[in-house]
Amino acid sequence: MTGPAISIQKVTKVFPIPFRREHVVAVKDLSLEVSPGQVYGLLGPNGSGKSTTMKIVLGLVTPTTGRTEIFGRDSTSVESREEVGFLPENPYFYKYLTGAETLHFYGKLCGLRGARLKERAKELLDLVGLEGAANRRIGGYSKGMLQRIGLAQALVQEPRLLVLDEPTAGVDPAGSREIRDLILDFKKRGLTVLLCSHLLGQVQEICDRIGILHQGALVREGRLDDLISIQSQTELILENATPELLAQLEETISRSSARVVEKRKPQTTLERYFLEVTGGGK
Amino acid sequence: MTTPKHKNFSPARISAIASNTLLELVRQKVFYFMLLFALLIIGSSAFMVKFSFQQQFQVLKDVSLGAMSIFTWLLAVLATAMLLPKDIEDRTLYTILAKPVPRFEYLLGKLLGVLLLLAIAISLMSVVFAAVLYAREQIVIAETIRGTAPELQAAAIREVKSVTFQANLVPGIIVIYLKSALCAALTLLLSTFASSWIFTVIVSVMVYFIGHVQPIAREYWLTEMPGGQDPAPLLKGFLGLVALVFPDFQLFNLVDDIVVGNVIPMAMFVKTAALGCGYIVVYTVVAYLVFANKEL
Repeated sequence: MTGPAISIQKVTKVFPIPFRREHVVAVKDLSLEVSPGQVYGLLGPNGSGKSTTMKIVLGLVTPTTGRTEIFGRDSTSVESREEVGFLPENPYFYKYLTGAETLHFYGKLCGLRGARLKERAKELLDLVGLEGAANRRIGGYSKGMLQRIGLAQALVQEPRLLVLDEPTAGVDPAGSREIRDLILDFKKRGLTVLLCSHLLGQVQEICDRIGILHQGALVREGRLDDLISIQSQTELILENATPELLAQLEETISRSSARVVEKRKPQTTLERYFLEVTGGGK
Repeated sequence: MTTPKHKNFSPARISAIASNTLLELVRQKVFYFMLLFALLIIGSSAFMVKFSFQQQFQVLKDVSLGAMSIFTWLLAVLATAMLLPKDIEDRTLYTILAKPVPRFEYLLGKLLGVLLLLAIAISLMSVVFAAVLYAREQIVIAETIRGTAPELQAAAIREVKSVTFQANLVPGIIVIYLKSALCAALTLLLSTFASSWIFTVIVSVMVYFIGHVQPIAREYWLTEMPGGQDPAPLLKGFLGLVALVFPDFQLFNLVDDIVVGNVIPMAMFVKTAALGCGYIVVYTVVAYLVFANKEL
């Protein structure tokens, strides 16, 4: 049976404002599904209901109406979290623990023990590139290292679903690229990822499908390629084209019903240029 | 790798949270207050040379047990008040509850961590207290036998020893521990609905003082005043609420009896201990009920 990894069915969340007869509708009649193995981007401006949706999926907040499921299990049940790893926005872990102790702690919460736990912690520290900082206290970690130990703790029980809230917030371009590469690696391994980010360029590189929330409601949803492709236009990138060939092409186009909208040299991204100049941030 | 199947209740998970809480608190160097405690009782014992040996031991016990009571109370309130708000502020709570951890296990683990810390703290203070008391006893014995005829020395030593390590010290120290544990459970309950740790500390301190006047409220509530002199129904209701919700901290105050050498009857000790444990259980259950429905 391969049901959806996440199923959100007609979820509404209303927060009452204390001492007033008012309330805030954080999420409005939201329905969406995330298939196994997909990287799904949940986008929206601040206050659009992204974090509340994530918390509902994780069972940290109870929906006012509606239901959410993780791999077919009601996400308000504690057992559903066996399949989930979560990295919150700007996480801080217990700063008096070392990186290895942090992973041991989270591993124990998932029922891991002894040699198996040690082995898993070591494996994860290697995966996120923190093997050299395993015995350093978290209080001395940089922002990027905190995000990476956060990813490692999220993966400790080998979950099938990762929920990541702004995983690259406040991280420098090199660190951000490393985290992006890790997410792409998770995708290759078949993990499902639900990602919240304001970095639209990065979302575009990683996600298969996106949903855009605005004022608590889902205003657009679908495959990324379908949503952002301009169906009436075609892009042709040529290498080593001679001026004569370009002139011929333009002439052929001018004789047809099509028109050249823009003619330009392709550009590298600012991120790639920055990384080239700074030697990959090393 | 496959993770073990989820259990609805796991002592191993609770123990992981408890030991982690303890480790965090220990690494925050909370035991530095032990130096203050040691200085306080060693210093107080140095100023007692002019007193009779009975008075010396009384003052030493009074200062030491009083300091133990205040230090463990402060430690209980301050250590517990920070736990929940800090985990929420740092979003560490999200990462823990996003794992298969029921909320009552998280809460119980946190409380057990603080109770372990208090147990270690009171054990260390007891060791320091016992060492100072023993040293004082040896000094007093040496001074006593110096001016006493050899045939009377054994009786004189027995007399000194009879007022130093008395049996009532053990139940007295256990009751001090229970009182601090009760304060920790109460502070944990407050922190489940408080908006900041400062609010939690202030309310917890207020409850501590109200708890010391609780017997007066209880007496007014339960006693029928002659000639229709009963307080107004609203006031009586309020007094009843104070008497039921707040613990009677006077019951946990055995230091005066210990100082004058009164024997603490077993029945009284068991009743006080049971009351303390009962309050801890009730406060923890209420804390869970509040926390279980908390929107994070």
